[in-house]
Amino acid sequence: MRELVARYLSHSISRRAFLTGLTRAGLTLAAARSVVESVVPAAHAQDAEGVRIVEGTGGECFAEQLIASGVKYVFGNSASEDATFYEALVDRPQLKYILTPHEGPGAAMAAGYVKASGEPTLVMQAAVVGLANAIGQMFNAYKEQTPLVFYSYRTDQTGRAGRDGFEEVANQEAIVAPLTKYAWLARRADMIPETVRRAFKAAWTPPFGPTYASWHSDLNDETTRAEVVLQSKVDPRMRVRPNPAEVERAAKLLVEARMPLMIVGDEVTRAKASAKAEKLAVLLGMAVTQARQIHASFPEAHPLWVGVLPVGRISSLDYPKNPDVVINVGNKLQHNSATPMIGRGVKFIDLRIDSASMGNVIATDVPLVADVAHGLDDLTAAVEQLLTTSIRQKAADRAQEVRRFSDRARTLRAMVVKNPNWDASPMLADRVTWELGQFADRDAIIVHEAGSVTPHGFDFDPGGGRELFYYYGAHLGSGVGTAAGVKLARPRQQVICLVGDGSFIFGPTALWNMARLELPVITVVYNNHAYSGPHSRVIEKLPQGRMVETGHFFHDYLGNPDMNMAWIAKGFGVEAEVARSPAELTAALGRARRSTLDGKPYLIDAQVARVGVAWADKPWIPPIA
Amino acid sequence: MRILLAALGIVFASCAALAQRPAKPAPGFPDAPGKETLVAKCFQCHGPNMWTAQRQDRRAWESTLYRMVGRGALWSEEEIKAMADYLGAVYGKSAR
Repeated sequence: MRELVARYLSHSISRRAFLTGLTRAGLTLAAARSVVESVVPAAHAQDAEGVRIVEGTGGECFAEQLIASGVKYVFGNSASEDATFYEALVDRPQLKYILTPHEGPGAAMAAGYVKASGEPTLVMQAAVVGLANAIGQMFNAYKEQTPLVFYSYRTDQTGRAGRDGFEEVANQEAIVAPLTKYAWLARRADMIPETVRRAFKAAWTPPFGPTYASWHSDLNDETTRAEVVLQSKVDPRMRVRPNPAEVERAAKLLVEARMPLMIVGDEVTRAKASAKAEKLAVLLGMAVTQARQIHASFPEAHPLWVGVLPVGRISSLDYPKNPDVVINVGNKLQHNSATPMIGRGVKFIDLRIDSASMGNVIATDVPLVADVAHGLDDLTAAVEQLLTTSIRQKAADRAQEVRRFSDRARTLRAMVVKNPNWDASPMLADRVTWELGQFADRDAIIVHEAGSVTPHGFDFDPGGGRELFYYYGAHLGSGVGTAAGVKLARPRQQVICLVGDGSFIFGPTALWNMARLELPVITVVYNNHAYSGPHSRVIEKLPQGRMVETGHFFHDYLGNPDMNMAWIAKGFGVEAEVARSPAELTAALGRARRSTLDGKPYLIDAQVARVGVAWADKPWIPPIA
Repeated sequence: MRILLAALGIVFASCAALAQRPAKPAPGFPDAPGKETLVAKCFQCHGPNMWTAQRQDRRAWESTLYRMVGRGALWSEEEIKAMADYLGAVYGKSAR
């Protein structure tokens, strides 16, 4: 029996052969199964050095490296040539496979899991045909710097590649090159584990981003010997401290500033450094804002919070109007205008790990390339060294001034309820959002993919309060999948998905995953039967044009027949209803809460009004004859 | 196309053109009570085309302004009233 165990641990025999051997040695089937279960974890454990040799199919080696890379969940869509990988999963229960019925929402679910858990995962698809469906979410991962690893085989085999075969395209891995940090084709079966761990290493080395691994499908079937290495043995664990000389310069600028301003961003949330950002802001009595990102990285109820940048330039802030020193802490600073977000006359300190983005648009006085948690620690310590009694008093006076503004702003923002159409049916989108703000748990997670909806009234707080997962990348169809992945990662927190009807219809299949896996997400569809954003935008471009004159808009109306999102949800096994008025909405939210407390997801199709320029009561539909 | 649907993109884009020039109204904004408030408050983010194609009554304009509050605009009730009065008079349903 000892020899049997040794052979199983060295991967010389399969689990089935091990079980058969034990029964032949005289154990009952139940006893043999018990022995197998007790040995399985050891069979997949690494040795003390974190490196071991595995013998098996390419698919088995792939699975072993995923385990060694710390992967618990794999999100995939059915792929015939991954047979040996699926076979390997049977005896590796620690590696859980989640079947997603479309690669796009499946990849969004994986991305949501990664963002909410901070743990690695894999998205896998069938060859280039499945990859093509996932590329939209790969784009999102690239823009959002999500460390998501993608894999798909090449259907063509090594012995017959290049003959325009079934599902074959030349240079498959090159298709995703502009959207990935690393895209590579393993040339031999024994190189599968190395290719996989390099993909994880590249994805998870800051600044994060998606990667892609591929190989010819026959390599999955080959029997080979390969090294499997713990990810910790290849991870550079890049947590960089900033240049001390630059830290001193930044500290001096900040303490001497008349009106400093801090911009926060996603690196703060990823580094769990919100409290550190708050500490520095309080020390200096410094106003805090945020440009567009995924997460809300500063507590919105804090007296130093002055609101988000309305249009991506600090000059659009109501307050402070003329900051003389601006420090960015971990924001990507997405520019959508030729005008720099921060004007040339303002001193600028840029603290983030994404060094490649620094200085591209904004003139930078002090670059601080660092993990923002370390950077904030070092900068705060340096500022404390420079604080005198008079500077402390100046900071305290400034903090009072910022508080006066933030108190007034809070009062003015609350006036949203005074809209004369507040009780109308179909509802104002603002009314739906306000009701959700009243309804959500104090530590709820809001997944947002509702284009024309501003998530007001939630008072996001990364320090244990409500959290935001916003659709920064903006390839639509991500919201429902993201919410499912977030709930998988954070089962104890309420997850509410806000999604527009146009976005929802790009990716509803993840509802089926919510139902199957009992992921009790509340999905609220803002359904105005229209693409509101593009409607307003074309009118702004051509305000006196023929479209406005005739009311003939070709691109924006999704009604007649109106899509019923509740019926769609029920088709995927999710209980749902339509809410047409505020009263119906509050009642529906009550039912949604009860459903989720029973472990079941729920969807509300909230009927909202089409608002904006030139909407007819019955919009014109382009004829085809 | 999907990317273009993002509303914030729309807001950013609408302000992109505005960013190239000083924040002053284009021709087509006749003098009337409330104009000064409108120019001071709305052109912070929007170009003039947001108004020139729109015709609706005062109540609808007031609703539009409160929707901007939902998007982060910080206006007092008096300011909203002044802007709604102006827009209802100048860009009302019967205006040309």
